Amino acid sequence: MYRIQIDRSLCSGFGACAELAPDIIELDASGNATARVGMSDDPAVLDAAAACPMAAILITEEEAA
Amino acid sequence: MTPPRSVLVVGAGLAGARCAETLRAEGFDGELVLVGEEPFAPYERPALSKEFLTGERSAEELFLRPNAFWHEQRIELVLGQRVASVDRERRTATTSGGRVIHWDALVLATGARARQLPFEAPAGTHVLRTLADAIALRRELLPGARLAIVGGGFVGAEVASTARKLGVDVTLLEAGSAPFERALGPELGVRLAERYLDHGVDIRTETAAAAFHARPHGRVRAVELADGSVVECDVVLVAVGVAPAHELGAEVEPPIYACGDNAGSRGHWTGAAAEAVGAARRILELDPLPAQPPFFWSDQFGLRLQLVGDTTHADEVELEGSHDSFVARYRARGGKLVAALASNQPAAMGGLRLEVAAAA
Repeated sequence: MYRIQIDRSLCSGFGACAELAPDIIELDASGNATARVGMSDDPAVLDAAAACPMAAILITEEEAA
Repeated sequence: MTPPRSVLVVGAGLAGARCAETLRAEGFDGELVLVGEEPFAPYERPALSKEFLTGERSAEELFLRPNAFWHEQRIELVLGQRVASVDRERRTATTSGGRVIHWDALVLATGARARQLPFEAPAGTHVLRTLADAIALRRELLPGARLAIVGGGFVGAEVASTARKLGVDVTLLEAGSAPFERALGPELGVRLAERYLDHGVDIRTETAAAAFHARPHGRVRAVELADGSVVECDVVLVAVGVAPAHELGAEVEPPIYACGDNAGSRGHWTGAAAEAVGAARRILELDPLPAQPPFFWSDQFGLRLQLVGDTTHADEVELEGSHDSFVARYRARGGKLVAALASNQPAAMGGLRLEVAAAA
């Protein structure tokens, strides 16, 4: 499982994350990325984090409970 | 090629930090050292001209990751030291503190340094690139102080915006006929210049700083312009761009890699973070990720400007929207969309990014 943390003070609204992992990350009305869920097993979150030009998305792998 | 057992990343800015954490995230298990010249853990540089300067955010709030993160990820931070020399044959690096670090792969993420003007800068003259620069400048931006900013680029404009909020008098000196003329085109430049005037900034265009005048005790008193006129001031910010830091050599071939402002041909226009991820993936011999168009943003005078793509070869600009909230599309000769700018339209950015990517 991946824990998803988005630093909204870093987010600059590029939007690639929401495109690469639409089930997990969405953009709110002000264009900032918001995680729909705190944890996911979808590896798309890794692509979303890698595509962020601000490194605002932190993914940490955790053992499934 | 066998994967490296140790990686040394030189430079602890966004690119260096991102490269190191990507190596770990992609499964690199060897020794990983990140050396940074500044005495701070990797931090968010863009805030230096904005929330940090106003005092809305403290230095602690600028760190890219909590301190525990580096420890948990087994990324050793060596801070407050430069890498003084690299031995490419023996695969070692020696820090300014005398430590010798062995590497199987070396990442140069040394970044860029603020350019200076080619004449003597008296006390009260600043640049803004590092947290230490921002701390020094912040001390001087007191209500009623007179600030002269040399250079109407993004740093100059953002500091002008912040300084006005702090009650500082601002004169902005720009070499072109409008701020951002080269980066964003004359239409946008004129629009932004009007906005700066509305916010009480005195803009002088088509002018260059020729010398600084100092008081008898050494502090800056005025900027002399090329036409001989003089702008009196108490504080100066020199914001005339950055120069890549190439002290360790610009030559990069595996097992030496580069990412960030020292590597990208367009400095801040290309994503330092994307290059850092790319370097980490090359080290681990992973396939590259799909390329993203360059992206940049700036917060100034109540506008959030977001630019995607490259305006270098733009021939015409289409503007739509109001004075505050608008979209500009940059087209090359023949009509191809090469870049798009959104002002206070964050929700439009995603679509514009896809338009630019589709046209590429």
